[in-house]
Amino acid sequence: MTDSKPLTGGGLLFKVLEQHGVNHVFGYPGGAIMPIYDALYDSNVQHFLCRHEQGAAFSAVGYARASGKIGVCMATSGPGATNLITGLADALADSIPLVAITGQVPTAAMGSDAFQETDIFGLSLACTKHSFQVSHVDELEKVLHQAFEIALEGRQGPVLVDIPKDVQIAIVEQTFKTAPPLKNKVELPLADISKALDLLSHAKQPILYVGGGVGMANAIEEVRTFARETGIPSVSTLKGLGALDTDDANYLGMLGMHGTKVANLAVHDCDLLIAVGARFDDRVTGKLDQFAPDAKVIHFDIDTAEINKRRKADAPILGDLKENLPLLTMPLELKSWQAKVQQMKSDCAWRYDHPGESIFAPAVLKEVSELMPKNACVTTDVGQHQMWAAQHMSFDDPSNFLTSGSMGTMGFGLPAAIGAQISRPHDTVIVVSGDGSIMMNVQELATIKRYQIPVKIVLIDNEKLGMVRQWQDLFFEGRLSETDLADNPDFIMLATAFDIKAKQITQKSEVTAAINDMLDHDGPYLLQVKIDAQDNVWPLVPPNSANNEMMESA
Amino acid sequence: MNTPNLDNYTLIIMVDDKQVVLERILQVTRYRGFLINGITAKVNTGNHVATIELFVSSDRPISLLVDQINKLVDIKSVRVDNNAS
Repeated sequence: MTDSKPLTGGGLLFKVLEQHGVNHVFGYPGGAIMPIYDALYDSNVQHFLCRHEQGAAFSAVGYARASGKIGVCMATSGPGATNLITGLADALADSIPLVAITGQVPTAAMGSDAFQETDIFGLSLACTKHSFQVSHVDELEKVLHQAFEIALEGRQGPVLVDIPKDVQIAIVEQTFKTAPPLKNKVELPLADISKALDLLSHAKQPILYVGGGVGMANAIEEVRTFARETGIPSVSTLKGLGALDTDDANYLGMLGMHGTKVANLAVHDCDLLIAVGARFDDRVTGKLDQFAPDAKVIHFDIDTAEINKRRKADAPILGDLKENLPLLTMPLELKSWQAKVQQMKSDCAWRYDHPGESIFAPAVLKEVSELMPKNACVTTDVGQHQMWAAQHMSFDDPSNFLTSGSMGTMGFGLPAAIGAQISRPHDTVIVVSGDGSIMMNVQELATIKRYQIPVKIVLIDNEKLGMVRQWQDLFFEGRLSETDLADNPDFIMLATAFDIKAKQITQKSEVTAAINDMLDHDGPYLLQVKIDAQDNVWPLVPPNSANNEMMESA
Repeated sequence: MNTPNLDNYTLIIMVDDKQVVLERILQVTRYRGFLINGITAKVNTGNHVATIELFVSSDRPISLLVDQINKLVDIKSVRVDNNAS
């Protein structure tokens, strides 16, 4: 920006973004945000035009999750703002730091049902960690700094800043020279370390239950050291995948509704559950009063409100995992428990000897996982393919497995992969999607085309909304209601229309070469993997059942 | 609105007098499963701190709501008034 041009509210926005190290934003312009897009024209921040505001929000989420930085998205007022909401709700539910900027109609028009006016400030209450509406340009700089501070402090989350058009245009009289220092106001008085040490030293059959909080706290090294030194058998939630060392003999995989049999049985039998950055989600616990029914609980978390929310903690430890986990790290004598779970683990190992020539999705995903380069980042959509990816792929860091955990948002995978690829241009990014999910944000293929983003899309295609079909078959007497997708578009032709190289495979014999071709290709690629429509995700803990009552076949 | 088998609580909430703080408290209270039986709110214009008295009922423990309201950004303090009937 030249010195002769006065600084506007819109210009100030990009100045603050740059102060916070933001290089990339995702968005879509429109009437009430035009002064901000005009200021973008003079800014060093790189903007990626997505093809729907929900795509912009999920790209910002993928960017944040893959890089550990804050994600930023922008949208105009009215429909632009409401289209962000699903992404904000997803970010809130999975604790992802995001700053969303929305344009608003001018302050004089607000409350008059003006064109493209909606009360996004009111709508944001249930889907953000906090939100602001800027009523005067003098407040703008402080509010923007606060938005970054709140998004990152304590349990992270999305913050929305709604900026009326006249505030974007207004001339800024005075700015701070530097960003005010961030202060962490989180006060965490509760840490029952001596009680936890007592529980730990008396436990005969403890289990370490690791959630998404470990990655968010950058405590992967600490949790791995704790697991290794104590020798406590460990399980992971969907969002915790990647935090633990998958080669550790005492690592038992994912627990919960589609968790491994050994993880669920071991948790059911444990006498002490050490929950680390995890929140006893219903998909993890199954029937809550029968979850780890004989266990005492040590609960590590950063969020006071998670303690005793769904399961009473005998020893709550609030605060930073990096500081608190080492306080409990000590060698324990657990040989007979380790031998028992390792025997169970060996008895329940996955089998990939699927009969016939049709392709077995778990085997494909296992092979993708084995062939993909080190530090590849995988995103998923939601459904059967998501659970197969969680079960059969291996990750060495939670930032390499991005999936919509709490919200379970179909349409997450493709835009999240775009954001991930932009944040990590030198790493391979792979989307595992389904034929239902891919259509939820299919317009983002245009974003891939525009910026030639080299993501690899593995499309698991059963011509069904597979997970809902599975539940209809198992729990609704096979009454298949609105789950058939036999009239899907030609996905190869669709990809080709966006200059994306594409290939379809239908036989087991084609799998290895197809995965290699996809990974070797420099640009974007779509691999359509046709599978049997009747394949189910196993094991499955039926609704309202205890985790030790899992089904392993129909 | 009182349902006989629900427990009644009075919360005393001190907040910074910021925009929509009252809406935020009401939204969280409803979402977390508490019925609102009454409310009083007054702002001290000297220090811009508002005091909100919130009368709620629920079959859930009040600590769940206290912890969630405490997480809101503009909240200074939340306490359960044990003297209230």
